[in-house]
Amino acid sequence: MKSFHLKILTLSAILSLACTTKVSEWVLLNTVPGQYTLVFFHKTPLTEADRKQNATISNNIKPANIEFRSVERKDIKESYFGLYYGSRIFEKYNNQKDLAGLISSPMRETIATDIMTGKLCVLLYLSTGNKEKDEKGLQKIKSALTASPFKDIITVTELSRNSVEESHFVSLLLNVEDDLKAIHEPMLFGIFGRFRALEPLLGKGITEENIKLMIDFLTADCSCLIKDDLPGIDILFTNNWENPATALVNKILDENPSLLHN
Amino acid sequence: MDQDTIPYDTLGERPLPKWLTDQRDGLNTIQPVAMEMKDDRSLSISFALTGAIILLTIAILTIYILRKKKNSPS
Repeated sequence: MKSFHLKILTLSAILSLACTTKVSEWVLLNTVPGQYTLVFFHKTPLTEADRKQNATISNNIKPANIEFRSVERKDIKESYFGLYYGSRIFEKYNNQKDLAGLISSPMRETIATDIMTGKLCVLLYLSTGNKEKDEKGLQKIKSALTASPFKDIITVTELSRNSVEESHFVSLLLNVEDDLKAIHEPMLFGIFGRFRALEPLLGKGITEENIKLMIDFLTADCSCLIKDDLPGIDILFTNNWENPATALVNKILDENPSLLHN
Repeated sequence: MDQDTIPYDTLGERPLPKWLTDQRDGLNTIQPVAMEMKDDRSLSISFALTGAIILLTIAILTIYILRKKKNSPS
């Protein structure tokens, strides 16, 4: 009977802890990143060269949240690679060369390091190349962060939509929602957890109030409603997400209980 | 991704992300059930029940005593 009581007590403690864990921390500790699929579509049966190429690709992408498959299709003109997230196609690649840097890039590595060292999130500002528009959005972000008690645990990173080095990353971000590629406005993505990107604020939607709401979302107690329907998508990336540093948000909230909220 | 935007005509009409509107409207937490005020009739029910029990007890005791008296040899 005694051990039964102990089990109940332990379970209650775990449950109470789960309810007060902040969204950003809970996602980093508990979620499994969404899985991508890279499909090699081929019209004719696979040759020995194809098999070797596929084995190399499959091996290279193994450390990331992606799996490789090959599918024979009679209705295509030429072989190609298709990148899928769930049932949705994100990108098509004509050959193996186009896949270089698919699962990792310098900026993704920096962002992952920030998250693993306990930062709340990374605000990624995807600029358009239009100076006037870009500067306007950037000013809003700066003034919103200046007023935020969490400013020291948030990193702001700017990325040009036209970046060649980060082209795969840009493409993944523009696939967070199905209409983003057609919108040429600055976008602000909140990146947290195991490289989860929220649906972005864009154009005139980048306001101090909305940025505050984004920070509120990430610093709120993680409710079952959020756990069951986590917004955004997981970005393709290779990393070991085990043993992250203690979330810095807890220190701020412990020192300022008035900031606690749901 | 499951929250892809619904169709819209102009960028100005594009809806804000669902996570943002839910956070703004407080819908990311489970809402407590709204309490409704109802008439409190517990006191009158209590009086009625007490009265009924007293009357029943008196009736039972009366019958018991009368029977006992009738059966006892005088």
